[in-house]
Parts: sequence; structure tokens; C-alpha cells
Amino acid sequence: MIEKANITTKKESLPERSHELPSIIPVVDIYENEDEILLHADMPGVAKEDITVNIDNGKLDIFGVRNMKTSGVASWEEFENVEFRRSFSVPQAIDVGKIGAKLKDGVLKLHLPKSEAAKPKQIEIKAA
Amino acid sequence: MWTRVNDIDRMFGAMDLLRSRMNRMFTDHDRFHGNYGWQVAEASPHTNLYDNGDHFEIRVEIPGLAKEDMNIKIQGNYLELSGTRKSDAPEGYKAHRVERSTATFTRSFTLPADVDVEKVEAGLKNGILTMTLPKAKAAKPKQIDIK
Repeated sequence: MIEKANITTKKESLPERSHELPSIIPVVDIYENEDEILLHADMPGVAKEDITVNIDNGKLDIFGVRNMKTSGVASWEEFENVEFRRSFSVPQAIDVGKIGAKLKDGVLKLHLPKSEAAKPKQIEIKAA
Repeated sequence: MWTRVNDIDRMFGAMDLLRSRMNRMFTDHDRFHGNYGWQVAEASPHTNLYDNGDHFEIRVEIPGLAKEDMNIKIQGNYLELSGTRKSDAPEGYKAHRVERSTATFTRSFTLPADVDVEKVEAGLKNGILTMTLPKAKAAKPKQIDIK
């Protein structure tokens, strides 16, 4: 057999490989009143910069990556670096421009204000 | 020849990836059917313990807890963590979905070695409690010189 030298070196790259974190569905609470919808999601260990909230065409996506640095030998490990990912359908009547997000103690709090047109309105009956 | 070996290797790599994805899919599935992190059966938080030679580091997953909600007790090699997760439900709202439960938990550990209680440090960030527990002098590793 003739030894063939590679003329070009092929770089082994599987783009999916960088994406090896296990995916977790964060637990959420959803509340609603006349003015807004509130969403609380548990995302412990996720920094503010690592959270993405996307709303597009009635679909709300929450995505966050937990990126903890560890040192030393693990005696036990019950949680690890994960990505939190969850999607919701939201009513079209949300005022996308006014959505507010806060992160405190590992809990993401999303305020989704309803647009004026969607708020309940009392109709006055006029005497004929 | 070599490129072909690479192809085969790559194929196996892809199969491994597929298998791990499948495994993950099932765990996600289980999780969806009630195995949420904070249910009654599993009300106590997850912890990680790392041994760094001269100190231990413990991490506790406590989303939504402020530092006032946590109690930490240490004695020798006994560590007790207790806390209460209060409801953060806002007033005057209708609840559509409540998955994040409120619970009181106590969890105790026997650490692999005694720790120096005076020098223990604890910090809370993004819902993760990190504690540094320096080992007591007798428990620290020591270099032995061969004479």
C-alpha cells in the first residue's frame, strides 16, 4: 500500500459538539391580571448576560445557560451546568415593546403588559 | 486511507451524539411528568461538594431564596442547611400555572473532614449558595519528607 500524505488537513469539527449541555425545562409560575401577564421562571445559576428572551409571532422563548466554574474534586454532584429552555404561546395582544424582564436570586421575572385594545372595558349602556 | 478512517470515526461520533440525545429526551420526558425540582418528594435543594485539598466548597441550588431565608449550622464535620421558600405570588393576580412550589426544607450532611467553623465563608449569587469551608488543621493534607 502506498502511503499517502494528506495534502490538505481536514479539520474535525462537529458544530453540534459545542452544544453538549443537557437541556432542562425550567419550572414557571404564570399569573395574570387585567393589565399584564407575569411569568416567574426558576433559573438558578444563570447570569443575567446568559439569558435570552425572545418573543416572535406569539411565541415566547426563554433560554438560559448555567455556566459555573468548578474547582477541586467532586465528592458529589447533584446538579451540573445545563441549559434552561422553554417556549410558550402568548396571546397576540401583548405589547411587545413594553415587556420587562428582571432577574433576582436565580428567578427570572417577566412582565408582559397587555396592549390597550386587549384590556377589558366596561360598556356603558345609554338610555335611548 | 486516512480520510476514510476519519469518516468512519465521524460516523460513530454522530451515532454517539444521537444516542445521548435520545437518552436526554427520555429524561426530559420524565421531568415533564411531575419530576420537577422542587416538589414535595424532592423539597430539599440539590448540592455539589468539591474537595480542594485544604478546603471544601459546597454549592446549593436555591432559586428564589434571599439570604434571610437560609440558615446554616456547622459543627465539626456536621453541616445543616435549612430554609424556607416563600411564595412570591403577586396580589390581585389570577394564577394560570404554579409549578414553583413553596417549601421548608432541612438537609444535613456529614462532611468528609472537620472544618474550621470560624473561617467558613458563604455567598449567594443568582440563586446558588456557595460556601467555602476550610478544613480543620488536623484534617489538612500534609507533605511528608522522606528522610
